[in-house]
Amino acid sequence: MKYALKRILMLVLTMVIVSFLTFLAFELISGDPAEAKLGTEATPERLAALRHEMGLDRPFPVRYVSWLAGFVSGDLGTSYNYDMPVWELIAPKLEVTLCLCLLSFVLITAVSIPLAIWSYRWTGTAFDAVRTAFNQLCMAVPPFFTGILMSYFFGIVMRLFIPGDFPDLRTDFGEAVTHLFFAAICLGIPRAAMTVRMMRSTVIGEMQKAYVRTAISRGNDRRGVLTRHVLKNSLTSAVTFLGQTMAELIGGSVVVEQVFGIPGLGRLLVYSISNRDYPVVETLVVILAFWVVLAGTLADLINQRIDPRLRLGGAV
Amino acid sequence: MLEIRDLHVKFHNRDREAVAGISLTIGDGEIVGLVGESGSGKSVTAMSIAGLLPRKQCDLSGDILLDGEDLLHAPRSALRQIHGRKIGVVFQEPMSAMDPLMKVGEQVGEVLRIHTRMSKEERRARVLEVLQAVELSDPEAVYDKYPHELSGGMLQRAMIAAAIVIHPTLLLLDEPTTALDVTIQAQILELLKKLNAEWGISMLFISHNLNVVRKLCRRVAVMQRGELVEAGSTDQVFFRPQHPYTKRLIEAIPTRHGKETL
Ligand SMILES: Nc1ncnc2c1ncn2[C@@H]1O[C@H](COP(=O)(O)OP(=O)(O)OP(=O)(O)O)[C@@H](O)[C@H]1O
Ligand SMILES: [Mg+2]
Repeated sequence: MKYALKRILMLVLTMVIVSFLTFLAFELISGDPAEAKLGTEATPERLAALRHEMGLDRPFPVRYVSWLAGFVSGDLGTSYNYDMPVWELIAPKLEVTLCLCLLSFVLITAVSIPLAIWSYRWTGTAFDAVRTAFNQLCMAVPPFFTGILMSYFFGIVMRLFIPGDFPDLRTDFGEAVTHLFFAAICLGIPRAAMTVRMMRSTVIGEMQKAYVRTAISRGNDRRGVLTRHVLKNSLTSAVTFLGQTMAELIGGSVVVEQVFGIPGLGRLLVYSISNRDYPVVETLVVILAFWVVLAGTLADLINQRIDPRLRLGGAV
Repeated sequence: MLEIRDLHVKFHNRDREAVAGISLTIGDGEIVGLVGESGSGKSVTAMSIAGLLPRKQCDLSGDILLDGEDLLHAPRSALRQIHGRKIGVVFQEPMSAMDPLMKVGEQVGEVLRIHTRMSKEERRARVLEVLQAVELSDPEAVYDKYPHELSGGMLQRAMIAAAIVIHPTLLLLDEPTTALDVTIQAQILELLKKLNAEWGISMLFISHNLNVVRKLCRRVAVMQRGELVEAGSTDQVFFRPQHPYTKRLIEAIPTRHGKETL
């Protein structure tokens, strides 16, 4: 209970700090949303009028506090560029990006843990060098590159999806997921390769520990040692790592969404930043912060389930 | 019942043999002590009996027979059966020898899970019995504890319980009391004596503390640099040591009044 309270407090604090820093950053870099809206040809009078209308003529702290108050009461404001409520603008895109990231995350988890065990078993064989090389290749290859290859091959040649033409998530769920699937693979390959490498070295490290010798002395075979003891002991580091992965996927999704023409948060974020669309950017940034803290918290909670030693802080 | 004949162990990455031709027998219900300085090959000897040496990294030769069964040259799967059922092992550091994420009770019952067809309930009942036998108060509570929740002494009792739960014929104890403080050490020794008397388990007790060995074992073997330099009844080895190395070991025993005069 104390733990939950601490976590929630941290979450709120993180979101406030991040949103404030974003506000500050906009204050420091040049650029004026009113000007972005009217264009550079606008007369100073019209600009001034619009700035007053948008509330931009108020001092910085006042603007921040009024935005924060609105946010807390559920009013996210109106987008400067699209003239529509921020939430209506963001919600459908958020849905798409979340689907992409979750899909990618599931793929990474489902693939990398068995692969790590498998690659552990090959340790010390001639195949090892090939495995290492392949692993490093996968880590190094940037998602936009695999993205272009996949779009070409699976999209244009095999026509499994149409690059740039993303089906509606609600009406054509199946097709939309197919589209997302290939993007998720590109997004996931480097992280999956990193997870495999991390997990494999964790397993190797655990295998050296004294409890393994005890387990063998009780008559466990290799498989028993691995499944009954070592895997569980390796899991906490994997969970922590996957938590970071989940946080990072959303950042990586920006590029992949561009390559596959997926209408997610990525493009909106880039566009809104360059047009100084504060209300949109602020909300996006807070969502990202929430996502990152949530990923970390989930990882912690799962680890506490796995490892009783982490429960000492009165978490239960 | 245990017979070691001319055992040699050589690690590939070492020049000298870790065990250089040891012969040793342990009779039914006997506790034999194995002493020697650090690096003399005591653990390696025990590990070769228990089948815990990394076979790819060393060469083994000689014979180890347990009730006539060959422990060195049989196929791996057969060995796992013999080792799990007939030989229990207790290591020096109970905290690191236990899986930190598995409940103590489950670890104690692991041998049963692997080698018997007992149901979960039967195993639990048996484990509780053995936890009682190693004089852990409140076995029920201990069963559901994780290793980090128990003290070193309690854990070592649990380790002993895990090693004897299937009634092995031989118990290998590799410095089981070295990591514990003196009062706990004495209690564990008493417990081992009791288990030896009541259950009739033979034991190989490894220590570099001669005093401890003296309290527990009727027979003792002394190792130096991989070789057995002296073996015999404890009294004989203590009061009339033949080998200069043994004499030095005995002289090195610290006592309350400086050097002990016998
Ligand atoms: N896995 C291994 N690889 C290489 N050499 C080893 C290995 N295990 C033990 N040795 C070597 O074998 C020799 C005997 O070691 P052993 O552990 O049996 O000593 P010990 O008598 O048990 O000493 P201690 O009292 O410190 O436990 C040492 O020289 C040690 O370095
Ligand atoms: Mg040793």
